[in-house]
Amino acid sequence: MENSRKAAPRVGKNSRFGRMPHLRYRPSPPRSVPSDGDRNPRGYRMTAMSYNVNGKTYQFDADPGMPLLWVIRDIIGLTGTKYGCGVEICKACTVWIDGSPEKSCDMNASEGVGRKITTIEGLSATPVGVRLQKAFIDCQAPQCGYCQSGMLMAAAKLVTSKSKPTDTQIDSALGNICACGTYPRVKQAIKSATGQPT
Amino acid sequence: MSKRTETKAGTVSRRAFLGGGATVVAMFALDAAPGSKMARAIAASLPADTAGGAVNGWILINADNSVSIAFGGAEMGQGILTGLAQAAAEELMVAWSQVRTQVAPTSQSYITGGSFGIRANFQKMRIAGAQARGVLLAAAAATWGVDASACTVSDGVITNAVTSATLTYAQVAKSAAALTPPAAPTLTDASKFRMVGRSMARLDLPSKVDGSAVFGIDVRVPGMLYAAVKNCPTIGGTLARTPATPSGVIAVVPLGNAVAVVASNTWAAFKAASSLSVAWTIPTAAAQLTTSTISSQAQTLMATGTAGSPAAERVGDAPGAYGAATTRIESTYQLPYLPHVCMEVLNCTASVTPTSCEVWVPTQAASWVQATAMAITGLPASAVTVHPTLLGGGLGRKIEQDYVSQAITVSKAVGKPVKLTWRREEDLSHDQYRPMGLVRVRLGADGGGRLTSIATRTVAPSPLAQRGWMAPTGNDNVEGAEGLPYAAANRLVEYVKHPAAVPVGFWRSVGNSINCFAVESAVDELAVALKQDPLAYRRSLLAGDPRTLAVLDRAAADIGWSTVPAKGVARGIAISNGFGSIVALAVEVSQPTVGVMKVNRVACAVDCGLAVNPGQVESQMQGGIIQGIGTAFWGQTTFSKGVASSRNFSNTRMLLMKETPSITVSILQSGLESLGGIGEVAVPPTAPALANAWFKLTGTRMRSLPFFPGANRMDD
Repeated sequence: MENSRKAAPRVGKNSRFGRMPHLRYRPSPPRSVPSDGDRNPRGYRMTAMSYNVNGKTYQFDADPGMPLLWVIRDIIGLTGTKYGCGVEICKACTVWIDGSPEKSCDMNASEGVGRKITTIEGLSATPVGVRLQKAFIDCQAPQCGYCQSGMLMAAAKLVTSKSKPTDTQIDSALGNICACGTYPRVKQAIKSATGQPT
Repeated sequence: MSKRTETKAGTVSRRAFLGGGATVVAMFALDAAPGSKMARAIAASLPADTAGGAVNGWILINADNSVSIAFGGAEMGQGILTGLAQAAAEELMVAWSQVRTQVAPTSQSYITGGSFGIRANFQKMRIAGAQARGVLLAAAAATWGVDASACTVSDGVITNAVTSATLTYAQVAKSAAALTPPAAPTLTDASKFRMVGRSMARLDLPSKVDGSAVFGIDVRVPGMLYAAVKNCPTIGGTLARTPATPSGVIAVVPLGNAVAVVASNTWAAFKAASSLSVAWTIPTAAAQLTTSTISSQAQTLMATGTAGSPAAERVGDAPGAYGAATTRIESTYQLPYLPHVCMEVLNCTASVTPTSCEVWVPTQAASWVQATAMAITGLPASAVTVHPTLLGGGLGRKIEQDYVSQAITVSKAVGKPVKLTWRREEDLSHDQYRPMGLVRVRLGADGGGRLTSIATRTVAPSPLAQRGWMAPTGNDNVEGAEGLPYAAANRLVEYVKHPAAVPVGFWRSVGNSINCFAVESAVDELAVALKQDPLAYRRSLLAGDPRTLAVLDRAAADIGWSTVPAKGVARGIAISNGFGSIVALAVEVSQPTVGVMKVNRVACAVDCGLAVNPGQVESQMQGGIIQGIGTAFWGQTTFSKGVASSRNFSNTRMLLMKETPSITVSILQSGLESLGGIGEVAVPPTAPALANAWFKLTGTRMRSLPFFPGANRMDD
């Protein structure tokens, strides 16, 4: 799998495909958002906040009522966490808050302050995350890939608390919606990552 | 590679791709569906200067001796980037670890639909790979002053058989690029394939497990603003006047049948769009767009409507044979409008200036995006750049241009880059739905039980007619009814166009998802009427079609059809021929509580000719079956005076992992010459297989989809 990892269709500095968004428009680096005219039009409540995401500190101004999902995506610029429904059903937006999987679409920005937030981009820093990512690739689980961040965040938490999760425990922990129908392979990947027959 | 291709590639495309130590060694042109109705429709719909035929694929040799295979086509989960790369890499004779692939930044992409990706382009990719290998070998041979036949290649390293000297592809790429590729290169014999036919690891997956994959919704352009739309809730309605710009919002942009709100982030735009008070002008005709009215119109059209002429299929005298039959089945099946439900909602990022237009978009039709941009901005093709991104699902929805034109219009209006995103509620309530359908099937059998006539009559709105792609008397939505494999001397396939103005479009497997439910249910009903086993009866009708018979037999064997099922469990079976492939599904269902269906087990057999990547074929079967179960159970959008019922997942239930049965997939391979599509074929037979099993279990025949419309709610 090391080979296919290297073979990811990422476009780096050496790419020929210089006009691809992958190259020019990677998620913005952490920054403090200035309160200029565009960003803070009249009537927009802005509050200075500080987040800890994947071990890094981010300072920014935001409306405290903005869902944590959009803080992560639009302000901090980590786009691996996905919008799917905005009403806490599909779980594509799952992140960890203080180590516990939460749907970020229905948490207010202010609820993220002072908490330890982990997103899919931070999963590679955890041994269990790396194990699951490898298993998801080994089992060729993702199809379109859109829901997989949420799947992985839910799966990683499950595997952290249950070293050999049963089918029922996997079903219960992964209520994420996948329109591609990757469920059989996701389940296979979780079992494979926990050393269980698939 | 056509002459036209080489000419064009030599001027524009090659230059665009050079640099960074990489060298283009082959160029090619991939099509959606050469010669098909779809291809003609696509060609007719494009302005002259964006018509197809231009280069949209490249093979590059990188400085590190890796190979980049890039082409225009939509990766929406079906694995096309990997499947087509396998075909080229096979002929290039490189190791899989050397292969890179991605969607090329080209608006000349082929239209990704109709399950054509592999079957239309597999051979072209092989030829391109072989041409690249040809010039690389020739360049190495010239360096050594030997004949190319004295050189061998392995893993991108060329060896001089006489001196044992070696050169890498990267070392000879520059001189190879100057050579003329062999017009008809020798291709690897299928028996010697090393990559084709194997489950090579998908090249896009590493980016999909660490959050780095860039879908359209993830694009971030410096200085961009964020827009959300409020589409007119009523079909056909238009904006009466542009609303005032609310506080906290940068701009409000009128869009005819919608209004966009521009803000500094997605959430602010969503919030403002959903609370915006908008005055709409609603046409009186919208009152007719109510599901009960549409259904009764369909009943009338079934009885008295004029069918397309000539009929989609007419062999012998089906009405006459039906009249003379000993055993007759006449059943009518009803199907709803269906939303696509891509996990990634519709979105598009556009940057329009007076002299240029750039669009970043998850699209199945980049060339149409370019045409859309040209129409809105008035700019020439050369000033429009389309950057296709990965798609978080496509399913036929992302071939459309509604969301694209909105984003371009808004960027043009505000003079800044804009990412426009539809809330899930907009995505589900303003789909271009799978058409509703009413299908009557008449089957007649003689005294010996032999099928003598098949007649289908499908009443449905037409996606083709709504786009002006079909003559007024033409046929649409007949896939899955025409060309059935069952032996019957008399056949009639009729289509009656339903005029309802609900926007309809292309939904995974198009007409197959409508007609297969009807036909495969009716064949089951006939078997029951003849007191025959549904499998045995189908087998008797397929004696002349060994390929289909083998697929059917395999699914039956895999479910254990010849054994007695457990108490409280019943089996059903159905087949589907479409997109050049054959699928059979055998299912087991039970009824844990009265009126509740549980799918215990599914056995799927598929013959797509050659499975280029068997693992991906299996994934597409699993996914299609899962989508098929969910939509058969709960999938529908109803309408009340032009307003769609679908809101969010709260009333658009999706199958979850805990409801997913065990699915086995057996792949039969009848050979490269009968290469078929794989992305859509598993959906159609799912609903009838379930209905047939449910009848066996309960004695109740379900002729209307969805089966359980009242159970369509989901909660958090």
